Amino acid sequence: MDFGTVAATWLGAFFTLCILSFLYKDNPFFRFAESVFAGVSMGYYIGNTFGQTFVPNLVHPLFTPPAGTPREWILVIPLLLGFLLYTRYIKKVAWVSRFSLAIYVGYYTGVNMMQKLQGEVLPQSADTILSFWRAGTFTNVGEWISLLVVVVGVLSVLVYFFFSAEHKGAIGGVSRLGIWFLMVSFGAAFGYTIMGRISILIGRVIFLINQWLGIGNGGVA
Amino acid sequence: MDMMERLMNLDRRWLYLLVGLAAVIPILAPLNLPVNVSRPVQDLFDRVESLEPGEIIMVSFDYGPSTGPENDPMGDAIILHALARDLRVVVIALYPLGGVTEAREELERCVGDLDPPNGQIASERFPDKVYGRDFIYFGYKDGGLAAMRLMSDNMHEVFPADFYGTPLDEYELGREVQGYDNVAFVMSLATGIIGEWWANLVNAQFGTPVAVGCTAVSAPKYFAYYRAGQMFALLAGLKGAAEYEFLVSQKYPQLAQITDSFIYNAGKGWDVQSVVYSIITLFIIIGNVAFIVERRRQKRGM
Amino acid sequence: MYKKQFPLLLAFLGGAIPIISFFITTPGDRLKVTTDTLQDWMLIIAGAALLLGVVNLFQINLRKISTRAKGWPNALWLLLSLVIAATFGLADAFGTSVFGIWGGDVAFQWIQDAAFKPLQATMFSLLAFYVASAAFRAFRVRNVEAGILLAAALIIMLGVNPYAVKVLPFLPDATNWIMNIPNAAAQRGIIIGAALGAASFSLRILLGIERSYLGLQKGE
Repeated sequence: MDFGTVAATWLGAFFTLCILSFLYKDNPFFRFAESVFAGVSMGYYIGNTFGQTFVPNLVHPLFTPPAGTPREWILVIPLLLGFLLYTRYIKKVAWVSRFSLAIYVGYYTGVNMMQKLQGEVLPQSADTILSFWRAGTFTNVGEWISLLVVVVGVLSVLVYFFFSAEHKGAIGGVSRLGIWFLMVSFGAAFGYTIMGRISILIGRVIFLINQWLGIGNGGVA
Repeated sequence: MDMMERLMNLDRRWLYLLVGLAAVIPILAPLNLPVNVSRPVQDLFDRVESLEPGEIIMVSFDYGPSTGPENDPMGDAIILHALARDLRVVVIALYPLGGVTEAREELERCVGDLDPPNGQIASERFPDKVYGRDFIYFGYKDGGLAAMRLMSDNMHEVFPADFYGTPLDEYELGREVQGYDNVAFVMSLATGIIGEWWANLVNAQFGTPVAVGCTAVSAPKYFAYYRAGQMFALLAGLKGAAEYEFLVSQKYPQLAQITDSFIYNAGKGWDVQSVVYSIITLFIIIGNVAFIVERRRQKRGM
Repeated sequence: MYKKQFPLLLAFLGGAIPIISFFITTPGDRLKVTTDTLQDWMLIIAGAALLLGVVNLFQINLRKISTRAKGWPNALWLLLSLVIAATFGLADAFGTSVFGIWGGDVAFQWIQDAAFKPLQATMFSLLAFYVASAAFRAFRVRNVEAGILLAAALIIMLGVNPYAVKVLPFLPDATNWIMNIPNAAAQRGIIIGAALGAASFSLRILLGIERSYLGLQKGE
């Protein structure tokens, strides 16, 4: 292994231990690692946004186009809009940043609106309605019961979220059922969340034991 | 009763120590525990098996190091599986906090070290596979939803060059992929919401088949998308990764060898996971038994 | 007017163009070309927006350092690591070397391996310990709802546990059923409800009713 790799592993192990030390109690090593984490993450953003987006999609086509290809002058517009965002930090001209911000927010809001309606409300409702048709004949009773459970679940949860009517009487009962469905889902989420959190820890432990200390089965990092 | 009380008032650091030890021991002594393959995972395996050699799949790395242990082995398994089936692989990254790093690392873990700008394009592991013809790394792009919509038929607008800065047109595979129509399906390895976008934006608008490998934390929501057919397959967390890795290793012994040579793979993680998970399950049971006993005692006391 | 009304018009147009383009997918159509151009710009603007936080971070931490506020050395570490990582990253982006010694790509890759990856991964791994402690202390059957939650959680947790499955072989099927039927149903209810809410909120933004994101008050 070359020096750079060894140094990276040792520094990585140092940072890992600094952060894990927080489990014992708060301490200056943890605070140090936390600050480095915030700083490096921001530096990482900068490096990648320039390297992967600004240089290939803006700098090359606008300032240094390859021989034989015309300069894409139109890219001056997003360059300018990008710069204008930063005027918010200068009090006198802060309002100028609204122009860029408005286009930026407007675009993503528009896409998001259609995405929610076309990509969530319609297909999710459609599947709930159409699943019985897809299931076909009554031969598989178990499947029909499951489909019925889905329909009841979706409707009762929607009733629970429907606040325009008071949750009393029949509506109260249905919304209570909705809560039960939600609880099943939150229980599942809890089980899965524990699973996910442990997985993340495993990665760090393997790094420390197999890669840094070199104990046990190593391999391609 | 005193013992129960003392147990409940245990300093939390003892619990931490127990969890830590439970994670260390199985790493030193692997258990090779079994996994049950579930339908949503089998669906991915079957789809990859059904494709014709030469077809292209796109793998999007939409996660960072924070969920690497869950998503990394999914990425490894899909890339290895695809190459073993002579499919071609396009790798991209959309997650700003680490996607670009993870994508490069997993690709190189699967095919071997690469340095295309200096001519090192042949894969060490798959001698007949070459960068730019059989697999390619387009790199990372900002913009999220905008990039995903533009990619539909303007791939080269989004990615004028690959990760290393070479124009896409200089590579055979780069020239061929102009939009989603050119890929058989997209597989997103996602830490959070970007996996949803592939389903509720790309699949909904462009009809592109989508499979998602998500983290366990976000899995419950993804089952609703899977059920509605908005994604044709779903790998949920480390368990999903272990199931898929198991299927691939079983069918292709040569890939099992490669996966076993990795310092970390899903099978190994699954061992540790099972042990720690058992302990936490015990925590919950003990905690509730103590709670119920205590409540009974209080009732009787009153 | 141009300070307030014009941005609202821009937001409307910025949203209306992609919305209309949802219904027009003919290649070469003028509106589709317009949308694609807008989307191309959006990559750049989104990148610039992502970096807005850098200025903020500098302002806050420089102030901390200059006033010697509590924990100011950490502010110094933060800015120092930011500058180093960004220098390596920019050297990589523009294909230059760092101080003529390291290739930019090598240096940037190195700082990712040595700092970025282990720090981010370990920071999140702390949650494993907290969730274990919470499972022990806070997860209690206090009423019917909590009982249902606990029962579902236990079935899921045992269903993926190889040891438990050996004893109770029906558990994986039970787990799959819970995930695919009642869980998916509840999640579907949440998705539909939240999506309708988000869509109507989006409409409020596009129509200029909701304008706080521009720093404007209602009616301003």
